Amino acid sequence: MSSDPNQTPATPPGHNDVLGHVDSPPTLIMVWVAVLALFGLTVALSSSGMFGKYTLFVQLAIGTVQAGLVAYHFMHLRHGDRVVVLTALASIFWMGILFVLFMSDYMSRSRVMG
Amino acid sequence: MSASTHSPVLKHHFGDLNQQHASERLGMWMFLATEVLFFGGLFGAYACYRLWYAAEFEFASSFMNVKFASINTVFLVTSSLTMTLAIRCAKIGDKAGLYRNLLLTFALGSAFMVLKGFEYAEDFHEGILPGASSFGVTDLKHNIKTDAEHAGLDTGKVRLFLCFYYIMTGIHGVHIIIGLGCILWLVQQTYANQIPPENYSTVEVVSLYWHLVDAIWLFLMPMLYLAGAHIPHAH
Repeated sequence: MSSDPNQTPATPPGHNDVLGHVDSPPTLIMVWVAVLALFGLTVALSSSGMFGKYTLFVQLAIGTVQAGLVAYHFMHLRHGDRVVVLTALASIFWMGILFVLFMSDYMSRSRVMG
Repeated sequence: MSASTHSPVLKHHFGDLNQQHASERLGMWMFLATEVLFFGGLFGAYACYRLWYAAEFEFASSFMNVKFASINTVFLVTSSLTMTLAIRCAKIGDKAGLYRNLLLTFALGSAFMVLKGFEYAEDFHEGILPGASSFGVTDLKHNIKTDAEHAGLDTGKVRLFLCFYYIMTGIHGVHIIIGLGCILWLVQQTYANQIPPENYSTVEVVSLYWHLVDAIWLFLMPMLYLAGAHIPHAH
């Protein structure tokens, strides 16, 4: 076992940088509270019906923030390698292509066909 | 020589543990990218029909049990927290904490599936079914056809929403069950002393999958349960 005197306090003794970053429980609990609070918000907004036909977009926007918090903190994109972050973003990018292509077809049919 | 090149958990085809951990993470993320596209297809199909048949989808969604789904959301989000705490415990060599958090995650995931089972049973007994058949049961609370016609809506489009509901929650449930199996495997690996701190990435790759399944639920919840939450009837 090697012992590096310069290692950060978060890393337990007897280990080197192999372990990477160790999460702090208060941060994780704050993220947990934030995701649940956003869930409460989306339930309240949906039940009130205050956004009318835009409700879906508001709900999905809140869902995106929630998923972003989960990905950034719980899935460690915060400390992720560049190639991992790139892979995560690529999945969203490809899903964007999927949506743009078929939505441009389905959502324009009524205009073309009457 | 550093510990990272002489660890018993280092697989022979990797130069050191950092490379092994990075490869494991990248491999799981590549798989998750395919999962995002897999669910993306379902989300896209849903979005399209939701925009086309908004009234029917919101009407059908109002039959969904928001209370069960809300409790399930709390279960899943909390299980994501305990799963992340399990990685922390693995890193700092806290075996008891690793056990505790893995078993808590397993319990919360199982509670999600049990509640989902009760919800499916309730849906069935209330007649919230995607097809014309009620499987020979006659005393169901609702009849989608007459309810939809009474509201001046197209029965087929209401049932289309219910198809999305059963397919999306069903596929999501299958992912949860697979995740639960992986968590049990982690418990066994912990018992067998196969997860020393330098092998924390084994817990991390399972957690990545678990979090993705959680994140997908965060989208399913508003799409399926909250679309009709503003319509006062049904439950």
